[in-house]
Amino acid sequence: MNGKTITVRQEIPVASIVTRALHFFRAPIHWVFLGVAGILAFLSLYPTAFLIYGSFTDAPLGVPGHFTFANYIRAYSDPSAYPLILNSFVFGIGSSGLSIILASALAWITVRTNAPFRRVFELTAIIPNILPPLLVSISWVMLLNPNNGLINVILVRLLGLEKGPFSIYSIAGLIFVEGLILTPLAFLIISAALKGMDPSLEESAKTLGSTELGVATRITFPLMRPAILAAGTLNFVRAVESFDTPAIIALPARIEVFTTKIWREALGSFPTNHNLAAAYGIGILVIALLFVYLYRRFTSRVESFSTVTGKAFQPHQIDLGPWRYLASIWALVLLIMMVVLPIIVLLLISFLPYYHVPTWQSWQTLTFKHFLAILDSDRVYKAFGNSLFLALGGATVCMVLAALTSYITVRTKIAGRGLLEGLVFIPWAFPGTALALGLLWAYVDFPIPIYATIWIIMIAYVTRFLPYGLRAVSSTIIQIHKELEEASVVCGAGFFATFRRILIPLMRPGVIAGWIILVTIFMREFSASIFLYSPGSEPLGPLIYFFYLDGLYGPMASLGLIISLICVMLIAVAQRFSRWETR
Amino acid sequence: MSLKSIILSLTAFLMLLSAPAAFSQSAKLIEAAKKEGGRTVIYGSLESGAFEAIAKAYKKKTGLEVDYWRASATKVMDRALSEYRAGKPLFDVILTNDNPMQIMQKQGIFAKYESPSFADFPKDAIDPNLGPRYRNVIIGVIYNTSIIKPADAPKSLEDLLKPQYRGKLVMPDPTQHTTTTQWVASLWKLMGKEKADKFIRDLAATKPILVESLLPAAKRVTTGETPIAISYVKYVYTFGKEGAPMDYVRLGKMMGDGHYVTLSNKAPHVNAGKVFIDYFLDDESMKILAQEAEFVNRKGVYPPIADADKIEFVEMVDLDRKQFAEKKKELQAIFLK
Repeated sequence: MNGKTITVRQEIPVASIVTRALHFFRAPIHWVFLGVAGILAFLSLYPTAFLIYGSFTDAPLGVPGHFTFANYIRAYSDPSAYPLILNSFVFGIGSSGLSIILASALAWITVRTNAPFRRVFELTAIIPNILPPLLVSISWVMLLNPNNGLINVILVRLLGLEKGPFSIYSIAGLIFVEGLILTPLAFLIISAALKGMDPSLEESAKTLGSTELGVATRITFPLMRPAILAAGTLNFVRAVESFDTPAIIALPARIEVFTTKIWREALGSFPTNHNLAAAYGIGILVIALLFVYLYRRFTSRVESFSTVTGKAFQPHQIDLGPWRYLASIWALVLLIMMVVLPIIVLLLISFLPYYHVPTWQSWQTLTFKHFLAILDSDRVYKAFGNSLFLALGGATVCMVLAALTSYITVRTKIAGRGLLEGLVFIPWAFPGTALALGLLWAYVDFPIPIYATIWIIMIAYVTRFLPYGLRAVSSTIIQIHKELEEASVVCGAGFFATFRRILIPLMRPGVIAGWIILVTIFMREFSASIFLYSPGSEPLGPLIYFFYLDGLYGPMASLGLIISLICVMLIAVAQRFSRWETR
Repeated sequence: MSLKSIILSLTAFLMLLSAPAAFSQSAKLIEAAKKEGGRTVIYGSLESGAFEAIAKAYKKKTGLEVDYWRASATKVMDRALSEYRAGKPLFDVILTNDNPMQIMQKQGIFAKYESPSFADFPKDAIDPNLGPRYRNVIIGVIYNTSIIKPADAPKSLEDLLKPQYRGKLVMPDPTQHTTTTQWVASLWKLMGKEKADKFIRDLAATKPILVESLLPAAKRVTTGETPIAISYVKYVYTFGKEGAPMDYVRLGKMMGDGHYVTLSNKAPHVNAGKVFIDYFLDDESMKILAQEAEFVNRKGVYPPIADADKIEFVEMVDLDRKQFAEKKKELQAIFLK
């Protein structure tokens, strides 16, 4: 050897790359992957890029500026920001935790037990998801404010107390109301997963002598973990980014959370400081992404959650014996808090000429004038048409994208599949208002003229709420065992046939649940719509908000109730349709 | 023919002579507006109820439609400026209060349009750039008469500091709500600087209940949750006509903000915008606004609020961006400590 080092470079022949590429494009699933990835990348990265750019510039979006860290320095050098982040964590963990506990109990009673009226409870449990959070928060202020909240007034009169025992204006009150607002979403996700669970494991445990409680804690709960974590993750981020409830309850209580600070410092300031808002938004994004990472770690062992197999099954129903009445009473108490009490207050607001604690004389003044006013308004009809179009169209588009994304991320081994989920979660992690600003700017110069049309709102809905659909489908698809697809492929079916004939029918509970969640959210969506709608494309969410803004509580509550009623009917039709389909 | 009938006939003849001039100008504009599509796009912060009343009368008179985008003043300015900078302004007319209007004017987004209706406003109410201050929104002290009898109500701002009103006062958070920041910053105009500074500190020490804006403060008074509020005086009528037991403290001098209406210099429907401004500043429209409890700048036209004619309006000071930020920081240390 002459001491020279001989380097051997292993060249990959061009022919091999071409062959690999051809092989890649031969499989239809790869085309689907590329298509879905392209759409998601465009939907999420395009507006997000504007927000990131905005956080590093010193000029309003749309105007050339200079690169700066000043927005981050201002946002995060303030020592008072950190206790607020802690407040937001306490608020987020508390309210999402409460929602999970309430939703799990309610889902278990309605899906897995023989408690009387469980079907009625199931339908009723999703009503609060239809009510705009603003209305729910206002209702609870009317019920639990320390001075003349209805519950406090009744307790003072009945028990002869000096003052009302409850105060909504506290961190506990804030968590309580937000927890109730978030419960229906958790209920839909958890109950969908419960419905799709294979009962054979539970039956085996019972055969081996386990009690019902043992089955629930050792079999049912571990199998439900992905769905519970999914619901918890969603609700945590939703609570942390929520503004409606803190604005109404936290401010009078002198409690500040991160969103109220963003409002004070950036979005509600005069003039608005979008750059600072974007810098705050990036902070929330980081927190949300951390939670997404944790969620993915929890649910990474997909196989261990496969519970829907090729064997035919009927969901396992637990006979509670005489305890079933107690279960119904428990569900009823929950629903009274979630649905009945807020609706009673909304009915009072709708039928009283102006809201006040009712006296005997008040009953003589009840009026239909608020209902008649909104039924006579062209603006209401137009907004309703817009919202219905956005809800039905947007939810359908979302669920198609969610089903495909979920399949690719959970089922395939395609390199870069994890990227899809990341893409979906980026815009969702931003506060709705900040994302709307990004969208507004992202599409203002877009070559296709969708700015200031109803389509920009639909794009916003699909972009922002896709994760809701994705979670609902994913927690179902995780439970479907691969053997069913493998059997289909062995029998000669291609990707599309397998997807259509095997996966979609098995995913149906999750898809329907997701679709319902989305329709109910879209029917009253506010935070993105308020920035994006233009005259002529006003949806119901902003309209309700403007009734609130103008002090027209009567029309606001009447419209809220009518929307809820229509949504309940839509849901009932959708559920009937899904049952009819599965026959 | 009597002298009276001669005078009446002459007056009618003169009116007929003068009417066609104004009408022909309006008619031409209306025709041009119809060719533009017959719609005007307006961004504004005037309450929807009041605006709808005007929109109905406007349509009846001109046959033209309006598309109204209603938001807070801050959001109106935000959207208008964003669209303008992006080169896609959709609005023809902006309708909001003084401070944001001044900022938008400095950004150069308004056209100079001297409507014939300007002539009906007092000269001192006409801004050289923005035109007439068509209404004043007045902030005062309102209360629930079923909880606090008029005899027991406070008689002055200083009375709010008395122990009997502690815990009974609600006001917008001055560290968050822009108009309230401005109101607090302008109190020296009513009581002098030294007294105003002391009053602000003492008011904060009473721990008033803070809410997001002036309307939720008034709403709490209507429901009886909190009996006294610092809020717009007009809500006494707005909610009073629904049956809410409301009245206001006759403070004599009260502060408030002026509102303006202006045409965009890139209005997609420029003629429709002009027709709307002509009508909006006209007598008929101002009377409709007054009926909706607005304090319009027309001699002898008052809202249906008791003693409205006795209120002496004091305009709040304008603050620029830096002054707002400083004031809010200062108030945070006082109100949120």
